[in-house]
Amino acid sequence: MREVELLEHLQKSIGSGAVSSAPVQKRKISLTIEPAVLRKAVEVLLKHQPRFVIIAAVDAGMDVDLLYHFDVKGVVVVLKTTVVKEASEINTIVDLVPAAEWAEKEAAELFGVNFRAHPKPGRLLLPEGWPSDRPPLRGPFKRALPEQFCPVAESLVSTGVTGPMSPLMQRRREEKGLPPSPPASFSSDASLREVQELMRRTGFDEKAGYDWEKKRLRHK
Amino acid sequence: MIPQRIPSVELATRGVLECIGVDAAELPGYACCPDPVVARLMDRKMWLALSARNLALAEGMGLDLLVLCNGCYETLTEANEILRREPEARKETSDILAGLGRAYEGTVEVKHVVEVMHEEVGVGKIEKLVKRPAKLRLAVHPGCHLFREAGGGDIWRKPKQLEELALATGAEVVHCKLDRLCCGFPMMQVNEELALKRNLLPKLACYQELAVDAVVAPCPTCIVQFEAGQMLLRKYGARYNLPCLHIVEFLALALGIPAAELGLELHRSPVEQLARKMG
Repeated sequence: MREVELLEHLQKSIGSGAVSSAPVQKRKISLTIEPAVLRKAVEVLLKHQPRFVIIAAVDAGMDVDLLYHFDVKGVVVVLKTTVVKEASEINTIVDLVPAAEWAEKEAAELFGVNFRAHPKPGRLLLPEGWPSDRPPLRGPFKRALPEQFCPVAESLVSTGVTGPMSPLMQRRREEKGLPPSPPASFSSDASLREVQELMRRTGFDEKAGYDWEKKRLRHK
Repeated sequence: MIPQRIPSVELATRGVLECIGVDAAELPGYACCPDPVVARLMDRKMWLALSARNLALAEGMGLDLLVLCNGCYETLTEANEILRREPEARKETSDILAGLGRAYEGTVEVKHVVEVMHEEVGVGKIEKLVKRPAKLRLAVHPGCHLFREAGGGDIWRKPKQLEELALATGAEVVHCKLDRLCCGFPMMQVNEELALKRNLLPKLACYQELAVDAVVAPCPTCIVQFEAGQMLLRKYGARYNLPCLHIVEFLALALGIPAAELGLELHRSPVEQLARKMG
């Protein structure tokens, strides 16, 4: 089955940058990739002589999803990647696939995505004078969770408990002869790592919009 | 909640368990239960997996779980039931736990401290151990999740046990028509004013009319709501200063554990004054 072979070739060539794939359908494969490996994925795909179809941009609340559609001898190949709204940047593929020039310009105008090193940035659809900071199809930063739940979500992902232990309470506990912290998930590195891994495996970190580098929820 | 917000409950529990001869061990590495309302609404898969991990930790120690909180009781009991009766959820959760190097076989029983005090220790034994009889009028707020009963059992079993424990101290328990009304804590996340005015305020008014000396609850979350809520209600012109404490703290006082050892000053309602009233 050539769909399976094509998917496996892409996954093997891209390596860890290939995040996941949808179930293979007749004449369609879909692979989710890290934005950093987009150009590498396209280069691999070019070996199969694809026809570029379109880039579909989708506002996903906290992110903008970009779905690069190609046609490889009758099989639709979708490379899905995501740019976070805080940065909204990704490398251009126009130098690899010239036909993507207008599609990138369209996503740039309507969704506010900056395609780095695009050879001819500028207007495509919107009238002159349209403010560049108001892409019409880009919605506001919106989480999957209600804002009121964010402090609880942040604390759960980072420590495994719904409320942090304050230094003041630690002192008060000690004054009363209690250990400053109970033997909870946040009190040992091993337990904390385990709980954080659980958050990753359940996908709750992603749903809550947790930034592991900054150790907090993403903000607008 | 208890270690971070009202460690006096932790102190009281250690004291009471020692006093009545119950040997309990801590659960190293435990995470939040997590709470049965907000966490479950946010993400059921995460809620179940985190709860199952706690159950797995207890199973690894070969022990049942004693909980001091209605929310913990509901979550852990529900998680246990779901893992027993929903094969798909069990498979999904087992896979997550396996990735952490853990497994849960479903052998742990979750028991609320009210059940343990009533069924394992017994009201008679507690009555005999009381050194400081409580000559007080008490309102007993069972909290919503204490009514949770697995397997279609009597939902009033634990609330009645709670009342009997309070009576064992010599206190008079008075009832109001709003005993079953939620304290309003979960609603605080969404609409603070509504939670305070529609839930907490009518209860406080009812208790004041009955001239109770204190409110006893088996749940730290309800206690936080009663205490912080009384302070927050001042901005709406309602002034109440009713002591609110955990049933285990009340038992600790009645069993003669010195108030000074219980950290009652960490409460945000006049629990220390109540302790002085008890002598």
